[in-house]
Amino acid sequence: MSNANEEALDFVWQPPTIKSKIFSQTTILGTTSVLLVFIAWGLLVHFEVYRFVLFPSPAEVLEEGIAWVSTHVFWMDAGATTLRVLGGVLAAYIIAIPLGLMIGWKKIFSDLTFPTLELLRPIPAPAYLPLAILLLPWQEASVAFIPFIDAFFPVLLNTIVGVKMIDRDYFRAARCLGSSPKQIFWHVVLPGALPSISSGCAIGMGIGWMGAVVGEMITGKWGLGYRIWEAYILIQYPLIVNGMIAIGILGFGSSVLIRYLTVRLIPWRRSITDSLEESITK
Amino acid sequence: MSDHTATIESQFWRQISRTFVNWSLFRQIMSFVLFLVLWSAIVVAVDYFQQIPTPKAVFMALFETPFKVVLVNMLKSFIRVLAGFFLGILIGFPIGVAIGYSKVAKGLIFPAFEMVRPIPPIAWIPATVLFFVHIESQIIFLTFYGAFFPVVYNTMGGISEVDIRLPRAAMSFGLNKRQMLWKVILPAAMPQIFTGMKLAMGITWILVVAAEMMANKGGMGYYVWYNHTVMDYPHVVLGMGIIGLCGAICSIGIAWVGNYFTRWQRIF
Repeated sequence: MSNANEEALDFVWQPPTIKSKIFSQTTILGTTSVLLVFIAWGLLVHFEVYRFVLFPSPAEVLEEGIAWVSTHVFWMDAGATTLRVLGGVLAAYIIAIPLGLMIGWKKIFSDLTFPTLELLRPIPAPAYLPLAILLLPWQEASVAFIPFIDAFFPVLLNTIVGVKMIDRDYFRAARCLGSSPKQIFWHVVLPGALPSISSGCAIGMGIGWMGAVVGEMITGKWGLGYRIWEAYILIQYPLIVNGMIAIGILGFGSSVLIRYLTVRLIPWRRSITDSLEESITK
Repeated sequence: MSDHTATIESQFWRQISRTFVNWSLFRQIMSFVLFLVLWSAIVVAVDYFQQIPTPKAVFMALFETPFKVVLVNMLKSFIRVLAGFFLGILIGFPIGVAIGYSKVAKGLIFPAFEMVRPIPPIAWIPATVLFFVHIESQIIFLTFYGAFFPVVYNTMGGISEVDIRLPRAAMSFGLNKRQMLWKVILPAAMPQIFTGMKLAMGITWILVVAAEMMANKGGMGYYVWYNHTVMDYPHVVLGMGIIGLCGAICSIGIAWVGNYFTRWQRIF
């Protein structure tokens, strides 16, 4: 009995070591899960189940992928798509964030603009493509217009929600201390809304990638979306799968980058926005 | 002194106008008017935008719309969207519940999903051609794929974020596991599950339009693209409006059902 007690007293919490991390339940299950996907894929192709006959095996995809990455075509495509996404999404940030701040802050401004924006919101981005082609002078811009529309509304709505979620007491306190509307904007509205804006930006970036791929598939000369479409027409299945993987990695990477930057830039980011963000992205 | 009465008088009139006129509603209506005026002004005044149809042209196009064609296309889009959406719920919801409920299921399924999720649904179009012979089933697979992840992730998130006190209270009242799931956990997770469904609906409409634009098999996306190719821009704008309306109807429908399932809190 006393022995057990001594043992209990001797127990000191230790931070997880690398070894315990590697052999934890989550890592083991996670690795199995990822491996299972690849094994299932390989087996389905190997035994030619249903229409998997035509599908490339993982080894084939890897081989072709390495060959593809080393060509300059890949880098041109990846660069073109990234630039389009960045152009469209950054434009959306630049327009949507100030607009959202004003809509959330001033009732009159909200009344005058928000109903119209609500009217435009349900129109899906690809439907804007004919107008974009008509409206914008060169093709690059009309492809970038789709990520712009795609990213615009999530960023706008998140900004508005961010402003609306600021505690009213902050406004009252600022006014009591005699701050001008300008000071209220810079010291209350903007910092208060930034956490929500940052999650909006991450979502916008994710959706922007989808928009760019649509645009490139329909009207493109370069880019990963166009390359997949071309591979589809030329029946190069390994290239299709590799293109999908490349788009996935780049899209994921840019979302992670945005999240990392915003977490760094906004140390007062509350945990509540994390759950908000999850509810919106996923 | 006269100044003072003037102030009181002006306040009196302000009070009157506030009680009898809903200025917020007035401004909201003005928002639409302002939008239409700005739109026409830009098209008329700026040379560069002359090709864009004016609101008047779009309105006039309404009278020469082949309603039968539009209705058939609308129906096609609706069937594709709803088929994919309900398939997504049918398959995604149980998986979401399993992932949210059991740690082992989460460990086994979640990483594989995380690996596939960053690939945008649109990028699946060429690959779907391999597995599905008919264009109809390809489009439905696409809408299914778009609806699947939001449903799974929000169901999972909703369940894992249920306040721990609720299941504890239920346990002390002696509920068994099945009752716990149906009576406590799922209702508590409902608001977020419906948020996921709303998101899924938005994504399915985007996907349907994009897929129809490429597929030449009817639907509203095809209607818009066809009118673009014959340079009939008033009908392009009209088609966009109709798609927007359809999307809005769908999300209002979900909000309506969602309100029924989350009667104790009005968030939608």
